Amino acid sequence: MTALIQLSGITKVLKGQEQPRTILDGVGLEVFPGESIAIVGRSGSGKSTLLSVLGLFDRPDQGTYLLSGNDISRLPERRAAKLRSSHFGFVFQRFFLLKHLTAAQNVAMALVNGQGWLPRRERRARVMQALEQVGIAHLAKNRPARMSGGEQQRVAIARALVREPKILLADEPTGALDTETGALVIDALLGVTAHGCALILVTHDRDHAARMGRVLHLDAGVLTEQVAVGGTA
Amino acid sequence: MIRFSGRLRSALIIGLQGIRSRKLRTLLSMVSLFLGVLAVVVVQAGASIAERAVLADMELYDGFDGTVVMEMGGSSPKVEPIVLDTVAGRSDAVAMTGMQAIIGEPGVRPVNQGGGSFDDSWGGSPMICDEQGNCREQTPAELGPQGQAIELRLTALTGDVRQFRPYRPQAGQWLDFTSVPMMAPRLVLNKEAAKGFDRYKVPAEMRVPGASANMTPQFVGVVDDGDASPRAYVRLDELTQWVPAGKLVDPNMGEVRVLMSSGTPVEQVLTSKLKAVNIEPYVHIVNSREEQESELALMRWIFLAMAGLVLLIGVAGILNVGLATVGERVEEFALRRAVGTPRALLAGIVLAETLITGLLTAALAIGASAAALKALVTLAGDSQPFLQGVEFPWEAGVAGVIAGLVAGVLGGFVPAIRAAGIPIATVMRA
Repeated sequence: MTALIQLSGITKVLKGQEQPRTILDGVGLEVFPGESIAIVGRSGSGKSTLLSVLGLFDRPDQGTYLLSGNDISRLPERRAAKLRSSHFGFVFQRFFLLKHLTAAQNVAMALVNGQGWLPRRERRARVMQALEQVGIAHLAKNRPARMSGGEQQRVAIARALVREPKILLADEPTGALDTETGALVIDALLGVTAHGCALILVTHDRDHAARMGRVLHLDAGVLTEQVAVGGTA
Repeated sequence: MIRFSGRLRSALIIGLQGIRSRKLRTLLSMVSLFLGVLAVVVVQAGASIAERAVLADMELYDGFDGTVVMEMGGSSPKVEPIVLDTVAGRSDAVAMTGMQAIIGEPGVRPVNQGGGSFDDSWGGSPMICDEQGNCREQTPAELGPQGQAIELRLTALTGDVRQFRPYRPQAGQWLDFTSVPMMAPRLVLNKEAAKGFDRYKVPAEMRVPGASANMTPQFVGVVDDGDASPRAYVRLDELTQWVPAGKLVDPNMGEVRVLMSSGTPVEQVLTSKLKAVNIEPYVHIVNSREEQESELALMRWIFLAMAGLVLLIGVAGILNVGLATVGERVEEFALRRAVGTPRALLAGIVLAETLITGLLTAALAIGASAAALKALVTLAGDSQPFLQGVEFPWEAGVAGVIAGLVAGVLGGFVPAIRAAGIPIATVMRA
């Protein structure tokens, strides 16, 4: 099977300080469609930076990043934005929902992003489909203030899924949730891998990591594979 | 094209969502901008109204732009027949001959001797000139006793002059040139003459120098001709039934003028005929708009510059609120970038918000100005003639919209650049 993502020798150095600090040091990684990967490591080990590079928020200083076989290591911002829209979905620890919008409008935000135009009816159908996928279609008209943390995170997941991404990047999505709700969110995230979407989860929670197909450990910018402790859902 | 349309729609949808979610801030931006746009609209409206009023007055007195005016001294007896022969029966040229007329009791001195305004008393005795141009003051014996009579200038017309001079009807009707000439000449008075007849009750007997007999005129209407002296207009063919040819131009204060459309052959023919008898006519083309524009342009620019300064304060208000709003919305913009929104669209969203704010403010300022003008016209239109019939000028509306758009762009430019430059990675880090 062709790898969806191939990273080789990815290095990221934090400049602007007296001593430049290497955040990612020759990271190599292959991600396949439908695969679930957990990245674990201590705070400051470079997990979020790796996710930023993977999600095209940031460019690596060195190394090669192939997406579906195409080198996107030095992509101009305009094309990076287009790829973020077409290939990636993002879920963050803080849900980043806009308070003044309803759940449906928050999800639709990913469709009204200047990357093609969908008629309102089609937009609405896709939004409702994404909300149903995470089991909160009945909350479509609610604003974030009237939803629990778990519900808000599921709206954020629906927002990430609405464009049917090929890769879902989740940066500590359960960090602000209790154990039970966190488990439900992980269920929802793992559910998308059944449709061929790859999931890369950054987490501190060993239980959640254990539910992924692979667990990678990042320490001082070096990525190493741990012994598999679980399987794909 | 489709991509552009999609981005435009996206910017508008998100911009409107932003405005709806921050109503108070939008209102504050609008308040600061309102005065600036209002100042631009008011200056532009005032300038346009003043320009039209001045132009209308100039047209009233000088004629429509493009009218060819030929003037000749009336002292030569050769002028009158040449002019009347050439112009007679033509629709593209009208001759106007002026002479003195007294209406009222016979053998008395008019209340406004000399034909001046009824409110002015210049004193002194009127002058009288012979055919050689020698003038002297009239003696008391020549003047006679003062009585119920009014002196005015009588202007005889060969055709309907309103195609060249836009006299404003005040009462009654204008001279009818299509009917058969009447024995009792029909007169149309100007406002000053009408005032005289209203103030002094005089008998309707008209004396014109050189006339075979005194006439009984019919007053058919009153017009505003812009002249401060009393004047009456009459059909030349009605006057010639009483005043023989050759006497239609007053040797003392005679005036002969021909108004023509541009391009008419009358100008060339008449000039040639007059030059053949050694008379050099003075010809000019009415160009009121250009003269007036040069006079008003400087003043308009000065006022617009002042309005621009007020607008700048409004722009500073939008800029201030815009920067604060972008600072508050860092996460939103970073999130939008994360889901694939291009930087250009983020800038577009901010600009759309400020442009919509600017346009809404412009609409309010234009509406307020138009309503204020309407109220002013309703309340003070009767006492202030220049306000009569005044409508809100479209130029002021256009200026207001442009001011709103410019303020939106200027006030939103820096916040838009800031919004487009927000880094995703830093903001979205857990």
